Amino acid sequence: MSAPLLRVDDLEVQFFTEDGVVRAVDGISFDVREGELVGLVGESGAGKSVAVSAIMRLVESPGRIVGGRIEFKGETLIEVERDDDGEPYRTDATIPDGELRERIRGREIAIIFQDPMESLNPVFTVGGQLREFIELNRDLSEREARETAVQMLREVGIPEAAARYDDYPHQFSGGMRQRVLIAMALACEPSLIIADEPTTALDVTVEAQILDLVDELQERYDTSFVWVTHDMGVVAEICDRVNVMYLGEIVEQAPVDDLFYDTQHPYTEALLDSVPRPDETVEELNPIKGVMPEAINPPAGCRFHTRCPAAREACKTTNPDCRDVTDGVTEHRAACIKHDAFETAYEGSPPLETGAGGGFDVSLSGGETDD
Amino acid sequence: MATTHSDSETIGSESVDDAEQSVSSVEARVGWRYTLAQVRKDPTAFAGFIIIAVASVVAVVTTIDAVVFEYLAQYQVFAQFGVEKYWLAKTLWMSPTAEPAGTPTLLPPVGMENTFGQGTWAHPLGTDDRGRDILLRLIYGTRIAILVGVLATAIGLVGGMVIGAVSGYYGGWTDDVLMRLAETLYAIPFLVLVLAFIAAFGRSITFAMIGVGVASIPKFARLIRSRVVSVREDEYVEAAKAAGVRDRNIILRHVIPNSFAPVLVQATLQVGTAIIIIAGLSFLGFGIQPPTPSWGQMLSVSRNYMIQNPWFSVWPGLCILITVVAFNMFGDGLRDALDPRLNN
Repeated sequence: MSAPLLRVDDLEVQFFTEDGVVRAVDGISFDVREGELVGLVGESGAGKSVAVSAIMRLVESPGRIVGGRIEFKGETLIEVERDDDGEPYRTDATIPDGELRERIRGREIAIIFQDPMESLNPVFTVGGQLREFIELNRDLSEREARETAVQMLREVGIPEAAARYDDYPHQFSGGMRQRVLIAMALACEPSLIIADEPTTALDVTVEAQILDLVDELQERYDTSFVWVTHDMGVVAEICDRVNVMYLGEIVEQAPVDDLFYDTQHPYTEALLDSVPRPDETVEELNPIKGVMPEAINPPAGCRFHTRCPAAREACKTTNPDCRDVTDGVTEHRAACIKHDAFETAYEGSPPLETGAGGGFDVSLSGGETDD
Repeated sequence: MATTHSDSETIGSESVDDAEQSVSSVEARVGWRYTLAQVRKDPTAFAGFIIIAVASVVAVVTTIDAVVFEYLAQYQVFAQFGVEKYWLAKTLWMSPTAEPAGTPTLLPPVGMENTFGQGTWAHPLGTDDRGRDILLRLIYGTRIAILVGVLATAIGLVGGMVIGAVSGYYGGWTDDVLMRLAETLYAIPFLVLVLAFIAAFGRSITFAMIGVGVASIPKFARLIRSRVVSVREDEYVEAAKAAGVRDRNIILRHVIPNSFAPVLVQATLQVGTAIIIIAGLSFLGFGIQPPTPSWGQMLSVSRNYMIQNPWFSVWPGLCILITVVAFNMFGDGLRDALDPRLNN
């Protein structure tokens, strides 16, 4: 198999706040291959957006990349190691800021942001902004850039593209603006597009149009995508492979079909149970109990054990890494000690009463809390 | 890649619904045309705008007459046509600095009478202590007020914008250092600062103007910084960063234009303040030097003749008042026009 386009290795991002260190991304690894659409799924606050902004080193103070390595087309976008005092520093392999800006940002990797309403500068025309990015990243003259911009607008399905070129962002609807943002990302012909919940702010009919559009454009340009979302429906619709994140960690990695039909991690299972599925009829949906704990003070052991229906005593002490759980049959990795790949005492361990099973009164079962 | 697909095949266009297209008919709420249209709906602001426009035209014409013609007169090509300082004024009437022999001094306006004589149509607003026409000197004094007011504000605006934008965009110690410096400057009374500036560099209108400009930098810097701090968090700024735009261009093209509205309002009001300060400096003898006419200096001279001919003081005072009020009315109107919450 050829080397992946993007490889994220043990990435750690922390936010140094007044209340303490928030471990927003805590050692995640994943890769993206040429022409692949990789999903990054999880609840709000799981660290998805921080993880993808770290790829382009866009994490802002007080946030900091404190560990790991990101490799893209054989170049090291960032590599952080710790010195003898445990202080993180960038290694020499990391490409310098100026070069990252000139060669990578926009040219090789583009980002589509979450909110189409906020991602366009309100004082400039839509076409002008598109042209600015194209001129910057493709070495075209102003006239050529303008032609390309109109062409791109047409391609993402803006009617009367040439006429709309001189319109301001507020004259566009949400769906149209999202099309413009997609045009912006595609126009610079990057190898990788990071889509940070690009359809979250849109209603479902527009979302469906955008997803179709992305599907078609991806086929045409063979661009790779990292698609950040919390919507399992979107994942099923467009992703090739999926990474499920929980509280700064990746808990399951699998090709999309395996994830849905051969789920290996209780969190993924719980996520899937909480949304309606066309292939299963249930009387009542089963939401995940509780809320995700604060990343500032994550639970010891497995981070999901406080809400996990399958949690046992052993889960309180072991924080599993992501391991191959299907004996190499498929690329399916999960971080749950119930699998044989983890040689822990899960089988013999007494079950934890977490209140996540539903139907039990939590207050009656003492001593199950994690403190 | 994209250019090779010039077959103009459109993806998904048929699925764009009507609702999306109808949005294009919404009236634009940005740009000069829209802002001016808003201002026009507000009679006070529009009156201010008209006064400023007229005063500006007068200022430009008189500046050409006083400064440009003086400069051109050095060259034979122009001098042979009789080009000289105050050429226009002399051709149409007379030089605003000339003291024509035989003209009575301190005449009152038309229809009035005082110990020096009867007001005549030859000098509609009367004459000053040297027999010069007050109306003519007021007209030629406009250019000092407008030009110096606007230039001083421009100095403060540009300086404050650079400092405020850099400070707000980068934050951290850059912000701390620049803002503490600005606040230090802010702590010193305005007029004292300007007088100190003139004392250090010299007694001329140029330094008075630069002094007023520099002294107003902190006001602009703080104002624009407060906007930039919130604008820099906007997603389009991050999008520009992600697209590889340089910091300098992000500040110039994305941050400043979006922080500009309140600064523009402040600038308009600041012109009024600058005009008063410059007039005050002229009054104190630190501004424009005689015989060049300016409103402040006319006021200064007229105070000696307050009893004999009070009109000599009234006219320049009225000019300053009207101009400053006009700038304030326009500034207020501009603020309303630029505030999206007040537009329905």
